[in-house]
Amino acid sequence: MGYMLLYSVGGTGLLSTGWTLRYWHEALQDSETWISLGYSFAIGLVSLVLALALALALQTGLGPQVRRGPLRSLLFVPLAIPALVAALLSVELFGNAGLLARLAYAAGWIARPNDFPDLLFTAAGSGIVLTYVLLVAPFLLLLLDRLARHERVDDLTWVARTLGASRWQAWRRVTLPVLLRASMPTLSVYFIVLVGAFEVPLLVGASYPQMISVLVQRKFSQFDLTSKPQAYVVACLYGVLAMSLLMALFSWCSRRENEGVNH
Amino acid sequence: MRRGLAVFVALALLLPLALLLMLSLARQWMWPALLPEQWQLRVWRDLLSDTAGIGSAVGRSVLMAVGVGIAATSLGFPTSRQVARHRRRGRLLALIHLPYALSPVVLGVSLLYMFLKWHLAGHMAGVMLAQLVFAYAYAVILLSGFWNAHTDALVDLARTLGAERRQVWWRVLVPMAMPMLSVCLFQTFLISWFDYPLTLLIGSGQVQTLTIRLFEYFSSGDIRLAASCAVLLMLPPLLALLVNHRLLSHSAAPHPDTLDD
Repeated sequence: MGYMLLYSVGGTGLLSTGWTLRYWHEALQDSETWISLGYSFAIGLVSLVLALALALALQTGLGPQVRRGPLRSLLFVPLAIPALVAALLSVELFGNAGLLARLAYAAGWIARPNDFPDLLFTAAGSGIVLTYVLLVAPFLLLLLDRLARHERVDDLTWVARTLGASRWQAWRRVTLPVLLRASMPTLSVYFIVLVGAFEVPLLVGASYPQMISVLVQRKFSQFDLTSKPQAYVVACLYGVLAMSLLMALFSWCSRRENEGVNH
Repeated sequence: MRRGLAVFVALALLLPLALLLMLSLARQWMWPALLPEQWQLRVWRDLLSDTAGIGSAVGRSVLMAVGVGIAATSLGFPTSRQVARHRRRGRLLALIHLPYALSPVVLGVSLLYMFLKWHLAGHMAGVMLAQLVFAYAYAVILLSGFWNAHTDALVDLARTLGAERRQVWWRVLVPMAMPMLSVCLFQTFLISWFDYPLTLLIGSGQVQTLTIRLFEYFSSGDIRLAASCAVLLMLPPLLALLVNHRLLSHSAAPHPDTLDD
Protein backbone atom coordinates (compact mmCIF):
# COMPACT_ATOMS: atom_id res chain seq x y z
CA MET A 1 0.00 0.00 0.00
CA GLY A 2 2.79 2.38 0.96
CA TYR A 3 4.56 1.74 -2.28
CA MET A 4 1.39 2.28 -4.29
CA LEU A 5 0.95 5.62 -2.60
CA LEU A 6 4.56 6.53 -3.32
CA TYR A 7 4.34 5.54 -6.97
CA SER A 8 1.09 7.40 -7.44
CA VAL A 9 2.61 10.70 -6.27
CA GLY A 10 5.69 10.23 -8.43
CA GLY A 11 8.03 9.51 -5.53
CA THR A 12 9.27 6.43 -7.32
CA GLY A 13 8.78 4.58 -10.57
CA LEU A 14 10.21 4.34 -14.04
CA LEU A 15 9.13 7.71 -15.37
CA SER A 16 9.27 9.52 -12.07
CA THR A 17 10.18 13.21 -12.48
CA GLY A 18 9.80 14.13 -8.86
CA TRP A 19 6.92 14.59 -6.51
CA THR A 20 3.64 15.41 -8.13
CA LEU A 21 -0.06 15.19 -7.48
CA ARG A 22 -0.69 15.18 -11.21
CA TYR A 23 -1.68 11.53 -11.36
CA TRP A 24 -4.06 11.87 -8.46
CA HIS A 25 -5.53 14.94 -10.08
CA GLU A 26 -5.89 13.17 -13.43
CA ALA A 27 -7.33 9.96 -12.02
CA LEU A 28 -9.72 11.78 -9.71
CA GLN A 29 -10.88 13.98 -12.57
CA ASP A 30 -11.31 11.00 -14.82
CA SER A 31 -14.97 10.02 -14.67
CA GLU A 32 -13.99 6.43 -15.51
CA THR A 33 -12.46 6.01 -12.04
CA TRP A 34 -15.64 7.01 -10.26
CA ILE A 35 -17.94 5.17 -12.65
CA SER A 36 -15.88 2.01 -12.20
CA LEU A 37 -15.95 2.31 -8.41
CA GLY A 38 -19.71 2.88 -8.31
CA TYR A 39 -20.29 0.17 -10.90
CA SER A 40 -18.27 -2.40 -8.91
CA PHE A 41 -20.13 -1.71 -5.67
CA ALA A 42 -23.48 -1.77 -7.49
CA ILE A 43 -22.70 -5.09 -9.23
CA GLY A 44 -21.50 -6.60 -5.94
CA LEU A 45 -24.62 -5.47 -4.10
CA VAL A 46 -27.10 -6.52 -6.80
CA SER A 47 -25.42 -9.94 -7.22
CA LEU A 48 -25.43 -10.61 -3.50
CA VAL A 49 -29.01 -9.43 -2.91
CA LEU A 50 -30.34 -11.49 -5.84
CA ALA A 51 -28.33 -14.55 -4.77
CA LEU A 52 -29.68 -14.17 -1.25
CA ALA A 53 -33.24 -13.81 -2.57
CA LEU A 54 -32.82 -16.94 -4.70
CA ALA A 55 -31.36 -18.87 -1.76
CA LEU A 56 -34.21 -17.79 0.53
CA ALA A 57 -36.80 -18.72 -2.12
CA LEU A 58 -35.18 -22.13 -2.61
CA GLN A 59 -34.99 -22.65 1.13
CA THR A 60 -38.72 -22.00 1.48
CA GLY A 61 -39.55 -24.00 -1.63
CA LEU A 62 -37.37 -27.01 -0.87
CA GLY A 63 -37.96 -27.23 2.86
CA PRO A 64 -36.33 -30.31 4.41
CA GLN A 65 -35.34 -31.58 0.93
CA VAL A 66 -32.18 -29.44 1.26
CA ARG A 67 -30.85 -31.79 3.91
CA ARG A 68 -31.69 -35.02 2.10
CA GLY A 69 -29.81 -37.38 -0.12
CA PRO A 70 -28.02 -36.45 -3.30
CA LEU A 71 -29.30 -32.86 -3.46
CA ARG A 72 -27.32 -31.92 -0.35
CA SER A 73 -24.08 -33.20 -1.89
CA LEU A 74 -24.90 -31.61 -5.24
CA LEU A 75 -25.33 -28.21 -3.58
CA PHE A 76 -21.60 -28.36 -2.82
CA VAL A 77 -20.72 -28.68 -6.52
CA PRO A 78 -20.61 -24.91 -7.24
CA LEU A 79 -17.95 -24.59 -4.53
CA ALA A 80 -15.76 -26.73 -6.80
CA ILE A 81 -16.14 -24.28 -9.71
CA PRO A 82 -13.39 -21.64 -9.93
CA ALA A 83 -14.36 -18.18 -11.21
CA LEU A 84 -12.52 -18.75 -14.50
CA VAL A 85 -14.56 -21.89 -15.22
CA ALA A 86 -17.76 -20.13 -14.12
CA ALA A 87 -17.09 -17.46 -16.78
CA LEU A 88 -16.46 -20.11 -19.43
CA LEU A 89 -19.69 -21.89 -18.50
CA SER A 90 -21.55 -18.61 -18.61
CA VAL A 91 -20.47 -18.02 -22.20
CA GLU A 92 -21.43 -21.57 -23.20
CA LEU A 93 -24.80 -21.36 -21.42
CA PHE A 94 -26.01 -17.79 -21.89
CA GLY A 95 -24.11 -16.64 -24.99
CA ASN A 96 -25.83 -16.05 -28.31
CA ALA A 97 -24.89 -19.52 -29.51
CA GLY A 98 -25.05 -21.04 -26.03
CA LEU A 99 -27.18 -23.84 -24.73
CA LEU A 100 -30.03 -21.56 -23.68
CA ALA A 101 -30.19 -19.98 -27.15
CA ARG A 102 -30.23 -23.47 -28.69
CA LEU A 103 -33.11 -24.44 -26.41
CA ALA A 104 -34.95 -21.27 -27.44
CA TYR A 105 -34.40 -22.25 -31.09
CA ALA A 106 -35.65 -25.78 -30.45
CA ALA A 107 -38.74 -24.30 -28.80
CA GLY A 108 -39.27 -22.15 -31.90
CA TRP A 109 -38.84 -18.81 -30.11
CA ILE A 110 -35.87 -17.59 -32.15
CA ALA A 111 -34.62 -18.26 -35.66
CA ARG A 112 -31.03 -17.04 -35.48
CA PRO A 113 -28.40 -16.78 -32.71
CA ASN A 114 -28.65 -12.99 -32.94
CA ASP A 115 -32.35 -13.11 -32.02
CA PHE A 116 -31.40 -14.32 -28.56
CA PRO A 117 -31.33 -11.41 -26.08
CA ASP A 118 -27.83 -10.22 -25.18
CA LEU A 119 -27.15 -11.36 -21.64
CA LEU A 120 -23.36 -11.16 -21.71
CA PHE A 121 -21.00 -8.23 -22.35
CA THR A 122 -23.76 -5.72 -21.53
CA ALA A 123 -23.04 -2.36 -19.91
CA ALA A 124 -25.67 -3.20 -17.29
CA GLY A 125 -23.48 -6.13 -16.22
CA SER A 126 -26.25 -8.71 -16.57
CA GLY A 127 -23.78 -11.46 -17.45
CA ILE A 128 -21.62 -10.80 -14.39
CA VAL A 129 -24.64 -10.66 -12.08
CA LEU A 130 -26.18 -13.80 -13.59
CA THR A 131 -22.94 -15.76 -13.23
CA TYR A 132 -22.40 -14.70 -9.63
CA VAL A 133 -26.01 -15.24 -8.59
CA LEU A 134 -25.93 -18.83 -9.86
CA LEU A 135 -22.49 -19.47 -8.39
CA VAL A 136 -23.19 -18.00 -4.94
CA ALA A 137 -26.86 -18.97 -4.35
CA PRO A 138 -26.23 -22.70 -3.63
CA PHE A 139 -23.55 -21.78 -1.12
CA LEU A 140 -25.91 -19.29 0.56
CA LEU A 141 -28.64 -21.93 0.62
CA LEU A 142 -26.36 -24.33 2.50
CA LEU A 143 -25.35 -21.54 4.85
CA LEU A 144 -28.95 -20.48 5.54
CA ASP A 145 -29.97 -24.08 6.13
CA ARG A 146 -27.25 -24.57 8.69
CA LEU A 147 -27.97 -21.27 10.41
CA ALA A 148 -31.69 -22.06 10.49
CA ARG A 149 -30.95 -25.24 12.41
CA HIS A 150 -28.38 -23.57 14.62
CA GLU A 151 -30.73 -20.71 15.51
CA ARG A 152 -33.68 -23.13 15.85
CA VAL A 153 -35.77 -21.18 13.36
CA ASP A 154 -38.34 -24.00 13.12
CA ASP A 155 -39.08 -23.78 16.85
CA LEU A 156 -39.26 -20.00 16.73
CA THR A 157 -41.62 -20.12 13.76
CA TRP A 158 -43.77 -22.64 15.59
CA VAL A 159 -44.00 -20.32 18.62
CA ALA A 160 -44.92 -17.38 16.39
CA ARG A 161 -47.57 -19.48 14.64
CA THR A 162 -49.16 -20.63 17.91
CA LEU A 163 -49.23 -16.99 18.98
CA GLY A 164 -51.40 -16.28 15.95
CA ALA A 165 -48.93 -15.14 13.29
CA SER A 166 -49.75 -16.06 9.70
CA ARG A 167 -47.28 -18.09 7.69
CA TRP A 168 -46.06 -14.94 5.90
CA GLN A 169 -45.83 -12.92 9.13
CA ALA A 170 -43.82 -15.68 10.81
CA TRP A 171 -41.39 -15.73 7.88
CA ARG A 172 -41.10 -11.95 7.59
CA ARG A 173 -40.93 -11.14 11.28
CA VAL A 174 -39.05 -14.17 12.62
CA THR A 175 -37.25 -16.32 10.03
CA LEU A 176 -35.86 -13.52 7.84
CA PRO A 177 -34.46 -11.25 10.60
CA VAL A 178 -32.92 -14.17 12.49
CA LEU A 179 -31.22 -15.56 9.38
CA LEU A 180 -30.03 -12.14 8.15
CA ARG A 181 -28.53 -11.25 11.50
CA ALA A 182 -26.76 -14.60 11.78
CA SER A 183 -25.38 -14.53 8.23
CA MET A 184 -24.31 -10.87 8.16
CA PRO A 185 -20.55 -11.38 8.83
CA THR A 186 -20.30 -13.97 6.04
CA LEU A 187 -22.40 -11.87 3.67
CA SER A 188 -20.20 -8.80 4.21
CA VAL A 189 -17.02 -10.68 3.39
CA TYR A 190 -18.71 -12.12 0.30
CA PHE A 191 -19.81 -8.68 -0.77
CA ILE A 192 -16.25 -7.33 -0.64
CA VAL A 193 -14.96 -10.36 -2.55
CA LEU A 194 -17.59 -9.86 -5.27
CA VAL A 195 -16.78 -6.13 -5.61
CA GLY A 196 -13.11 -6.95 -6.21
CA ALA A 197 -13.85 -9.84 -8.58
CA PHE A 198 -11.68 -10.15 -11.66
CA GLU A 199 -12.10 -13.25 -13.85
CA VAL A 200 -15.85 -13.13 -14.44
CA PRO A 201 -16.06 -9.39 -15.33
CA LEU A 202 -12.96 -9.82 -17.49
CA LEU A 203 -14.55 -12.58 -19.56
CA VAL A 204 -18.28 -11.77 -19.61
CA GLY A 205 -18.27 -8.05 -18.78
CA ALA A 206 -18.57 -5.09 -21.15
CA SER A 207 -15.52 -3.10 -22.27
CA TYR A 208 -17.16 -0.05 -20.68
CA PRO A 209 -17.85 0.38 -17.82
CA GLN A 210 -15.33 -1.99 -16.27
CA MET A 211 -15.26 -3.35 -12.75
CA ILE A 212 -12.46 -2.04 -10.57
CA SER A 213 -10.10 -5.05 -10.76
CA VAL A 214 -10.37 -5.15 -14.55
CA LEU A 215 -9.75 -1.38 -14.76
CA VAL A 216 -6.67 -1.54 -12.51
CA GLN A 217 -5.23 -4.47 -14.45
CA ARG A 218 -5.88 -2.72 -17.78
CA LYS A 219 -4.37 0.59 -16.70
CA PHE A 220 -1.44 -1.26 -15.19
CA SER A 221 -0.57 -3.35 -18.23
CA GLN A 222 -0.94 -0.58 -20.83
CA PHE A 223 2.17 0.32 -22.78
CA ASP A 224 1.76 3.97 -21.86
CA LEU A 225 3.86 4.12 -18.71
CA THR A 226 2.06 7.21 -17.39
CA SER A 227 -1.05 5.10 -16.93
CA LYS A 228 0.76 2.95 -14.34
CA PRO A 229 0.68 5.62 -11.59
CA GLN A 230 -3.00 6.08 -12.39
CA ALA A 231 -3.56 2.37 -11.83
CA TYR A 232 -1.99 2.84 -8.40
CA VAL A 233 -4.23 5.81 -7.66
CA VAL A 234 -7.33 3.79 -8.48
CA ALA A 235 -5.97 0.80 -6.53
CA CYS A 236 -5.22 3.01 -3.48
CA LEU A 237 -8.63 4.59 -3.63
CA TYR A 238 -10.34 1.24 -3.87
CA GLY A 239 -8.22 -0.31 -1.11
CA VAL A 240 -9.08 2.47 1.34
CA LEU A 241 -12.78 2.33 0.44
CA ALA A 242 -13.05 -1.46 0.67
CA MET A 243 -11.13 -1.65 3.93
CA SER A 244 -13.14 1.07 5.64
CA LEU A 245 -16.33 -0.56 4.45
CA LEU A 246 -15.21 -3.91 5.84
CA MET A 247 -14.21 -2.31 9.16
CA ALA A 248 -17.57 -0.55 9.38
CA LEU A 249 -19.41 -3.79 8.68
CA PHE A 250 -17.39 -5.70 11.25
CA SER A 251 -17.86 -3.12 13.99
CA TRP A 252 -21.57 -3.01 13.17
CA CYS A 253 -21.76 -6.79 13.39
CA SER A 254 -19.91 -6.94 16.70
CA ARG A 255 -22.10 -4.15 18.10
CA ARG A 256 -25.17 -6.12 17.11
CA GLU A 257 -23.69 -9.18 18.77
CA ASN A 258 -23.02 -7.31 22.01
CA GLU A 259 -26.56 -5.96 21.97
CA GLY A 260 -27.78 -9.53 21.55
CA VAL A 261 -25.80 -10.59 24.62
CA ASN A 262 -27.10 -7.71 26.74
CA HIS A 263 -30.72 -8.35 25.98
CA MET B 1 -44.14 -30.08 -5.66
CA ARG B 2 -41.14 -29.97 -3.34
CA ARG B 3 -39.82 -33.14 -4.91
CA GLY B 4 -40.21 -31.66 -8.37
CA LEU B 5 -38.29 -28.55 -7.38
CA ALA B 6 -35.59 -30.69 -5.74
CA VAL B 7 -35.15 -32.71 -8.95
CA PHE B 8 -34.98 -29.50 -11.01
CA VAL B 9 -32.34 -27.94 -8.72
CA ALA B 10 -30.33 -31.17 -8.73
CA LEU B 11 -30.35 -31.29 -12.54
CA ALA B 12 -29.40 -27.60 -12.74
CA LEU B 13 -26.41 -28.31 -10.48
CA LEU B 14 -25.31 -31.22 -12.66
CA LEU B 15 -25.70 -29.26 -15.89
CA PRO B 16 -22.35 -27.39 -15.71
CA LEU B 17 -20.43 -30.63 -15.22
CA ALA B 18 -22.26 -32.32 -18.08
CA LEU B 19 -21.71 -29.30 -20.34
CA LEU B 20 -17.97 -29.19 -19.66
CA LEU B 21 -17.59 -32.91 -20.33
CA MET B 22 -19.61 -32.64 -23.56
CA LEU B 23 -17.54 -29.66 -24.72
CA SER B 24 -14.31 -31.56 -24.15
CA LEU B 25 -15.64 -34.63 -25.97
CA ALA B 26 -17.41 -32.92 -28.89
CA ARG B 27 -15.91 -33.16 -32.33
CA GLN B 28 -18.60 -31.14 -34.00
CA TRP B 29 -21.24 -29.14 -32.19
CA MET B 30 -22.72 -26.59 -34.55
CA TRP B 31 -25.63 -24.24 -33.92
CA PRO B 32 -28.45 -25.15 -33.29
CA ALA B 33 -27.76 -28.73 -32.19
CA LEU B 34 -28.63 -29.35 -28.56
CA LEU B 35 -26.11 -32.16 -28.26
CA PRO B 36 -22.78 -32.65 -30.03
CA GLU B 37 -23.26 -34.22 -33.47
CA GLN B 38 -19.98 -36.11 -33.39
CA TRP B 39 -17.90 -37.22 -30.47
CA GLN B 40 -14.21 -37.82 -30.07
CA LEU B 41 -11.70 -38.74 -27.43
CA ARG B 42 -8.86 -36.89 -29.17
CA VAL B 43 -8.56 -33.99 -26.73
CA TRP B 44 -8.29 -36.35 -23.79
CA ARG B 45 -5.88 -38.65 -25.63
CA ASP B 46 -3.76 -35.61 -26.44
CA LEU B 47 -3.91 -34.53 -22.84
CA LEU B 48 -2.86 -37.93 -21.54
CA SER B 49 -0.05 -38.31 -24.06
CA ASP B 50 0.78 -34.65 -23.38
CA THR B 51 1.06 -33.46 -26.98
CA ALA B 52 -0.44 -30.14 -25.90
CA GLY B 53 2.16 -29.75 -23.13
CA ILE B 54 -0.47 -29.43 -20.42
CA GLY B 55 1.28 -32.01 -18.25
CA SER B 56 3.95 -29.57 -17.13
CA ALA B 57 1.30 -26.92 -16.34
CA VAL B 58 -0.63 -29.44 -14.24
CA GLY B 59 2.55 -30.53 -12.46
CA ARG B 60 3.51 -26.92 -11.73
CA SER B 61 0.02 -26.13 -10.44
CA VAL B 62 0.01 -29.18 -8.15
CA LEU B 63 3.46 -28.38 -6.80
CA MET B 64 2.57 -24.75 -6.10
CA ALA B 65 -0.79 -25.59 -4.54
CA VAL B 66 0.66 -28.29 -2.27
CA GLY B 67 3.47 -25.95 -1.18
CA VAL B 68 1.11 -23.04 -0.50
CA GLY B 69 -1.33 -25.32 1.35
CA ILE B 70 1.31 -26.80 3.64
CA ALA B 71 2.98 -23.44 4.33
CA ALA B 72 -0.29 -21.61 5.02
CA THR B 73 -1.67 -24.31 7.31
CA SER B 74 1.50 -24.84 9.33
CA LEU B 75 2.07 -21.08 9.73
CA GLY B 76 -1.60 -20.30 10.25
CA PHE B 77 -2.19 -22.76 13.10
CA PRO B 78 0.19 -21.18 15.65
CA THR B 79 -0.74 -17.66 14.47
CA SER B 80 -4.44 -18.40 14.91
CA ARG B 81 -3.78 -19.22 18.56
CA GLN B 82 -2.03 -15.91 19.13
CA VAL B 83 -4.90 -14.10 17.43
CA ALA B 84 -7.60 -16.02 19.30
CA ARG B 85 -5.99 -15.25 22.67
CA HIS B 86 -5.39 -11.59 21.85
CA ARG B 87 -7.25 -8.94 23.80
CA ARG B 88 -8.45 -7.25 20.60
CA ARG B 89 -9.31 -10.44 18.80
CA GLY B 90 -12.20 -9.02 16.77
CA ARG B 91 -10.22 -6.08 15.44
CA LEU B 92 -7.24 -8.29 14.54
CA LEU B 93 -9.47 -10.73 12.67
CA ALA B 94 -11.04 -7.86 10.74
CA LEU B 95 -7.54 -6.62 9.80
CA ILE B 96 -6.55 -10.07 8.57
CA HIS B 97 -9.32 -9.73 5.97
CA LEU B 98 -7.23 -6.97 4.35
CA PRO B 99 -5.99 -9.05 1.38
CA TYR B 100 -9.57 -10.02 0.60
CA ALA B 101 -10.74 -6.42 0.86
CA LEU B 102 -7.95 -5.34 -1.50
CA SER B 103 -8.79 -8.10 -4.01
CA PRO B 104 -6.11 -10.21 -5.73
CA VAL B 105 -5.57 -7.75 -8.60
CA VAL B 106 -4.97 -4.70 -6.41
CA LEU B 107 -2.73 -6.70 -4.08
CA GLY B 108 -0.89 -8.25 -7.04
CA VAL B 109 -0.26 -4.84 -8.61
CA SER B 110 1.05 -3.46 -5.32
CA LEU B 111 3.31 -6.45 -4.67
CA LEU B 112 4.69 -6.58 -8.19
CA TYR B 113 7.22 -3.75 -7.90
CA MET B 114 8.70 -5.12 -4.69
CA PHE B 115 8.84 -8.58 -6.23
CA LEU B 116 10.57 -7.17 -9.33
CA LYS B 117 13.25 -5.69 -7.10
CA TRP B 118 13.72 -8.95 -5.22
CA HIS B 119 13.79 -10.91 -8.51
CA LEU B 120 10.70 -12.84 -7.47
CA ALA B 121 8.46 -11.70 -10.32
CA GLY B 122 8.16 -14.21 -13.12
CA HIS B 123 9.18 -17.02 -10.81
CA MET B 124 7.16 -19.79 -9.23
CA ALA B 125 8.39 -18.80 -5.75
CA GLY B 126 7.12 -15.24 -6.22
CA VAL B 127 3.67 -16.35 -7.33
CA MET B 128 3.52 -18.79 -4.41
CA LEU B 129 4.50 -16.04 -1.97
CA ALA B 130 1.70 -13.80 -3.29
CA GLN B 131 -0.80 -16.67 -3.06
CA LEU B 132 0.46 -17.38 0.44
CA VAL B 133 -0.67 -13.89 1.53
CA PHE B 134 -4.25 -14.96 0.81
CA ALA B 135 -3.88 -18.55 1.97
CA TYR B 136 -2.21 -17.52 5.24
CA ALA B 137 -4.95 -14.96 6.00
CA TYR B 138 -7.54 -17.61 5.19
CA ALA B 139 -5.87 -20.20 7.44
CA VAL B 140 -5.66 -17.80 10.40
CA ILE B 141 -9.33 -16.81 10.06
CA LEU B 142 -10.51 -20.41 9.70
CA LEU B 143 -8.34 -21.89 12.45
CA SER B 144 -9.03 -19.12 14.98
CA GLY B 145 -12.40 -20.89 15.37
CA PHE B 146 -10.58 -23.88 16.88
CA TRP B 147 -9.47 -22.17 20.09
CA ASN B 148 -11.85 -21.94 23.02
CA ALA B 149 -12.02 -22.44 26.77
CA HIS B 150 -12.03 -26.20 26.26
CA THR B 151 -8.74 -26.23 24.33
CA ASP B 152 -7.20 -23.88 26.93
CA ALA B 153 -8.26 -26.24 29.73
CA LEU B 154 -6.74 -29.23 27.90
CA VAL B 155 -3.46 -27.39 27.39
CA ASP B 156 -3.38 -26.53 31.10
CA LEU B 157 -4.14 -30.13 31.98
CA ALA B 158 -1.38 -31.48 29.74
CA ARG B 159 1.09 -28.96 31.18
CA THR B 160 0.12 -29.89 34.75
CA LEU B 161 0.73 -33.53 33.89
CA GLY B 162 4.25 -32.59 32.87
CA ALA B 163 4.01 -32.23 29.10
CA GLU B 164 6.53 -29.94 27.45
CA ARG B 165 5.51 -27.17 25.09
CA ARG B 166 6.39 -29.27 22.04
CA GLN B 167 4.52 -32.25 23.37
CA VAL B 168 1.44 -30.12 23.99
CA TRP B 169 1.43 -29.08 20.34
CA TRP B 170 2.19 -32.43 18.78
CA ARG B 171 0.43 -34.80 21.18
CA VAL B 172 -2.61 -32.72 22.13
CA LEU B 173 -3.39 -29.77 19.87
CA VAL B 174 -2.48 -31.10 16.42
CA PRO B 175 -4.41 -34.40 16.83
CA MET B 176 -7.39 -32.51 18.23
CA ALA B 177 -7.39 -30.01 15.41
CA MET B 178 -6.79 -32.65 12.71
CA PRO B 179 -10.25 -32.46 11.08
CA MET B 180 -10.03 -28.66 10.91
CA LEU B 181 -6.40 -28.75 9.76
CA SER B 182 -7.29 -31.05 6.87
CA VAL B 183 -10.09 -28.71 5.79
CA CYS B 184 -7.64 -25.81 6.03
CA LEU B 185 -4.96 -27.67 4.07
CA PHE B 186 -7.41 -28.51 1.30
CA GLN B 187 -8.92 -25.02 1.09
CA THR B 188 -5.53 -23.29 1.01
CA PHE B 189 -4.49 -25.80 -1.67
CA LEU B 190 -7.55 -24.66 -3.64
CA ILE B 191 -6.70 -20.95 -3.20
CA SER B 192 -3.47 -21.56 -5.11
CA TRP B 193 -4.94 -24.19 -7.47
CA PHE B 194 -7.80 -21.87 -8.56
CA ASP B 195 -5.74 -18.67 -8.68
CA TYR B 196 -5.56 -16.75 -11.93
CA PRO B 197 -5.00 -13.00 -11.23
CA LEU B 198 -1.90 -13.37 -9.02
CA THR B 199 -0.27 -15.86 -11.38
CA LEU B 200 -1.03 -13.51 -14.28
CA LEU B 201 0.42 -10.40 -12.58
CA ILE B 202 3.32 -11.77 -10.53
CA GLY B 203 4.08 -14.60 -12.95
CA SER B 204 4.20 -12.09 -15.85
CA GLY B 205 3.55 -14.89 -18.35
CA GLN B 206 6.58 -16.87 -17.18
CA VAL B 207 4.71 -19.16 -14.79
CA GLN B 208 2.43 -21.38 -16.85
CA THR B 209 -0.17 -22.95 -14.62
CA LEU B 210 -3.38 -24.76 -15.47
CA THR B 211 -5.51 -21.61 -15.02
CA ILE B 212 -3.21 -19.57 -17.26
CA ARG B 213 -3.46 -22.29 -19.91
CA LEU B 214 -7.25 -22.40 -19.57
CA PHE B 215 -7.48 -18.65 -20.13
CA GLU B 216 -5.19 -18.80 -23.15
CA TYR B 217 -7.17 -21.61 -24.79
CA PHE B 218 -10.44 -19.89 -24.01
CA SER B 219 -9.43 -16.50 -25.39
CA SER B 220 -7.90 -18.06 -28.49
CA GLY B 221 -11.23 -19.80 -29.14
CA ASP B 222 -10.07 -23.34 -28.49
CA ILE B 223 -13.08 -24.26 -26.39
CA ARG B 224 -12.35 -28.02 -26.37
CA LEU B 225 -8.95 -27.67 -24.71
CA ALA B 226 -10.31 -24.94 -22.42
CA ALA B 227 -13.14 -27.24 -21.33
CA SER B 228 -10.76 -30.13 -20.65
CA CYS B 229 -8.53 -27.81 -18.59
CA ALA B 230 -11.66 -26.79 -16.68
CA VAL B 231 -12.49 -30.45 -15.99
CA LEU B 232 -8.93 -31.04 -14.75
CA LEU B 233 -9.19 -27.94 -12.56
CA MET B 234 -12.40 -29.17 -10.96
CA LEU B 235 -11.14 -32.71 -10.42
CA PRO B 236 -9.51 -32.27 -6.97
CA PRO B 237 -12.49 -30.47 -5.36
CA LEU B 238 -14.97 -32.91 -6.93
CA LEU B 239 -12.98 -35.88 -5.66
CA ALA B 240 -12.88 -34.24 -2.24
CA LEU B 241 -16.64 -33.85 -2.42
CA LEU B 242 -17.01 -37.59 -3.06
CA VAL B 243 -14.66 -38.53 -0.24
CA ASN B 244 -15.92 -36.09 2.37
CA HIS B 245 -17.91 -32.96 1.62
CA ARG B 246 -16.71 -31.49 4.90
CA LEU B 247 -13.51 -30.63 3.03
CA LEU B 248 -15.47 -28.17 0.90
CA SER B 249 -17.58 -26.86 3.74
CA HIS B 250 -15.59 -23.64 3.82
CA SER B 251 -15.43 -22.01 0.42
CA ALA B 252 -12.72 -19.86 -1.11
CA ALA B 253 -13.72 -16.64 0.65
CA PRO B 254 -12.98 -16.78 4.36
CA HIS B 255 -16.07 -16.83 6.50
CA PRO B 256 -16.64 -17.76 10.10
CA ASP B 257 -19.51 -20.16 9.41
CA THR B 258 -19.10 -23.75 8.41
CA LEU B 259 -21.71 -25.23 6.10
CA ASP B 260 -21.63 -28.51 7.98
CA ASP B 261 -22.44 -29.49 11.54
